[in-house]
Amino acid sequence: MQHGLSRFNVVSLTLGIAFLYTPIALLVLFSFNESRLVTVWAGFSTKWYAQLLRNEGLMNAAWVSLQVAFVSSTIATVLGTLAGVVLARFGRFPGRTLFSGLIAAPIVMPEVITGLALLLTFVAISLDRGVLTVIVAHVTFSLCFVAIVVQSRLLAFDRSLEEAAMDLGCPPVRTFLTITLPLIMPAVAAGWLLAFTLSLDDLVIASFTSGPGATTLPMKIYSQVRLGVTPEINAISTIMIGIVAAALAIASLIGKRRMNAERSQ
Amino acid sequence: MTGIRAFVAALAAVALLAFPAAAQKNVVNVYNWSDYIDEAVLKEFEKETGLKVVYDVFDSNELLETKLLAGKSGYDVVVPSATFMSRQIKAGVFRKLDMSLLPNRKHMWDVIQQRVAKYDPGNAYSMNYLWGTTGIGYNEAKIKQRMPNAPVDSWTLVFDPAIISKFADCGIHMLDAPDEMIAAALKHIGEDPASQDPKVIEKALKPLQAIRPHVQKFHSSEYINALANGDICLAVGWSGDIFQAGNRAKEAKKGVEVTYMLPKEGAQMWFDQMAVPADAPHPLNAHRFINYMMKPEVIARSTNVVQYANGNKDSQQFVDKEVLANPSVYPTTEVMARLYTISPLGQKAQRAATSVWTKVKAGK
Amino acid sequence: MRSRLHHRLIAVGKRLGITGRGLAIAVPYAWLAAFFLVPFAIVLKLSFSEVVIAIPPYLPLFEWGEDGSFTVNARLDNYITLFTDDLYWRSYLGSLKIAAISTAVALLIGYPIAYGMSRAPAAWRPVLVVLVILPFWTSFLIRVYALIGILKKEGLLNLALTSLGLIREPLTILNTDIAIYIGIVYSYLPFVVLPIYASLERFDLTLLEAAADLGCRPTRAFWTITLPLSLPGVAAAALLIFIPAVGEFVIPDLLGGSETLMIGKTLWSEFFNNRDWPVASAVAIALLVLLVAPIVYFQRLQAKVAHGERW
Repeated sequence: MQHGLSRFNVVSLTLGIAFLYTPIALLVLFSFNESRLVTVWAGFSTKWYAQLLRNEGLMNAAWVSLQVAFVSSTIATVLGTLAGVVLARFGRFPGRTLFSGLIAAPIVMPEVITGLALLLTFVAISLDRGVLTVIVAHVTFSLCFVAIVVQSRLLAFDRSLEEAAMDLGCPPVRTFLTITLPLIMPAVAAGWLLAFTLSLDDLVIASFTSGPGATTLPMKIYSQVRLGVTPEINAISTIMIGIVAAALAIASLIGKRRMNAERSQ
Repeated sequence: MTGIRAFVAALAAVALLAFPAAAQKNVVNVYNWSDYIDEAVLKEFEKETGLKVVYDVFDSNELLETKLLAGKSGYDVVVPSATFMSRQIKAGVFRKLDMSLLPNRKHMWDVIQQRVAKYDPGNAYSMNYLWGTTGIGYNEAKIKQRMPNAPVDSWTLVFDPAIISKFADCGIHMLDAPDEMIAAALKHIGEDPASQDPKVIEKALKPLQAIRPHVQKFHSSEYINALANGDICLAVGWSGDIFQAGNRAKEAKKGVEVTYMLPKEGAQMWFDQMAVPADAPHPLNAHRFINYMMKPEVIARSTNVVQYANGNKDSQQFVDKEVLANPSVYPTTEVMARLYTISPLGQKAQRAATSVWTKVKAGK
Repeated sequence: MRSRLHHRLIAVGKRLGITGRGLAIAVPYAWLAAFFLVPFAIVLKLSFSEVVIAIPPYLPLFEWGEDGSFTVNARLDNYITLFTDDLYWRSYLGSLKIAAISTAVALLIGYPIAYGMSRAPAAWRPVLVVLVILPFWTSFLIRVYALIGILKKEGLLNLALTSLGLIREPLTILNTDIAIYIGIVYSYLPFVVLPIYASLERFDLTLLEAAADLGCRPTRAFWTITLPLSLPGVAAAALLIFIPAVGEFVIPDLLGGSETLMIGKTLWSEFFNNRDWPVASAVAIALLVLLVAPIVYFQRLQAKVAHGERW
């Protein structure tokens, strides 16, 4: 029996990653472009990185975006996981149809209208708009993405394990924590990543729901489109990729060491 | 367990950072167009007055309008374009300016004030920040190569199907701004560009449809980069944006040369106006900011940076000679007389305009 | 420590009559009710209203007269407009077509990637997951500009194709529907790959080994075992790309031509150019009804099938 990757797997993975990374390679390349244009090469330079560090507005916006993305994706993952479990495991309960509608609807709703609706709601309850309101808005639509991913993973499992645990007298919450949660962990992690990405990329809803002093990175970048994107934005994207890649490398190293330590015990 | 605890602590720390104490007194919240100021001016204002400026930027009148119409935007000074502002004034968005707090208005340029009065009767609600025109940007070499005697001073360059078709292969963009494009088309066929009559507006359909096959795209910002890169050779766009495209092309040193042309038949003039929302949290600070921006030496710096003219007569001595002498930025008195303004369209006229525009865009 | 806290929580819960089950339903439900249902009610109300020049820019639906009289100003005009003006129908259909084609292409590209990821050694899998999502932590607009740089007439793709001798004349891809498909597939690829991967990942190959032991060839095992078991993931993936693609605005605006009709663009111009919040709301409500009803029905079916398997 042959384990692991077949030739077909290797080819599809390579092609897929090439497709994903061609634009990214260009983007990184043009962050070192001498000229201000992001689509025409004019020589090597690191001046955009120097300029970026001096660009307070852009750095602030990047910081705001990271905060919003981190907080909103975490809350959305907790709520979305609960919702996914409810949809896949709880069978019938009063209001179930409405509940599954509520999970689908925020994804269907065009962003402009979601933004407007939340804006009018915040105005109606006199909630001052700022970072907080952007987080609330992001949680609302990204929790649905998490719920759908978690639900699909749970549906692919039968409940024999969970039922066995319950039959052995394990209380439901315990069963959830020790059996269901580890089972759905890949989906929860995928959901968190999707929620983080959605928040980091959102322009329209953030524009509607933010207030003075709360400018996210996409808003900042979009506001510069009129006069053309400068390679500074490529530079900030490159740095972001670099940081994430470094963080991952460290995390996986620590993970490996811990695994080794556990094994040696 | 420690992992979870550390995670919760991190979350709490981020939450604390994310929500600083909200309302402060010595603040002025400004919402202006992006890349529209010499940022050092803000620092100097802070130093002089002790107020803190929260300076946010937007990229479209529409977004600003949505925030203003929803209410409680939180901003103290906003800078809408005059056509939009006129309707916003009717909706009760702004508060009347307190002229006793604005002694620097004596520096304003009467010609511009009179033109703006069409949108803001009596100049009661707003002060001009910058103004410009809607004209044509083109790539010298590519146009000359395809048509040596091209009429590069007239709207016929884009509205005569026989002429514009010669440039279709090198790429043509037009603004995705129905009111401005329809006004230009009406002007070309000799109708009143400022007409509110849906029947007159519908007359713009024919000339626009006639040139539609040659236009690659209708978009209000892509043309800047496309012109600078040499991806397109002709665009109907806003003066300052086309100057920016020209500068960008020069920096790239690829031999692309972009020229802005103000058609001799006349073109549309537009104005970006500083105004104070009725529900501004710090109206007094708003007035101090506007008054500061009306200092001749201060507003001149905005003009020097972004290359749009300003509505401050006395600032002209501080404006770079090159900019002041450029007739496409500061037109001659004769051309100035031919520039026109359009009034904001009413709901019926607006529907007619949008319907004409949708048909034009769809019919390729 | 966890269990002590846990017992105390359960004790408190019991005293208050709260069960874990009730809480698990109530918390996400309450959030969605507060931040989706309430805003949705506002939009629904708006869709029966009429534009005026004021703050807010529409007429109130209910009015209490000073004499205590109560009037309802609900109007169906906005919905009638949707049915009578063929612009909206053509936009809805255009959107459905573009979303359907993009979804199909994305599934064809995404499934093999997800499958490859799930077959990779366990230590690589988290790295592969991150590799798939990492490009999307750069700014969206920057990625779109990079795509423009690839697709334009003098762009990389044409350069590559002409230098390989595959084409003579550069292809016009930018500002056409093909550019929109490429843009949507590219932008939503992780939303396709990750759910499929999450549903494939659990096969620890024992099933397939059993199949191989019984003389089943690998491709046969794929079609008869792997694919059917991963279908919930495929369904989730299809949902996560199809639905947002229908309402997509930014991608068709930047990559597509001006003549492409999509409901997201139509709604955008209704909202921002006509400033007609009521009609824009009606467009959105209609879209919601058109899409949410089939999704809820589909999910019910899925839940039923899951139940059926169980018994």
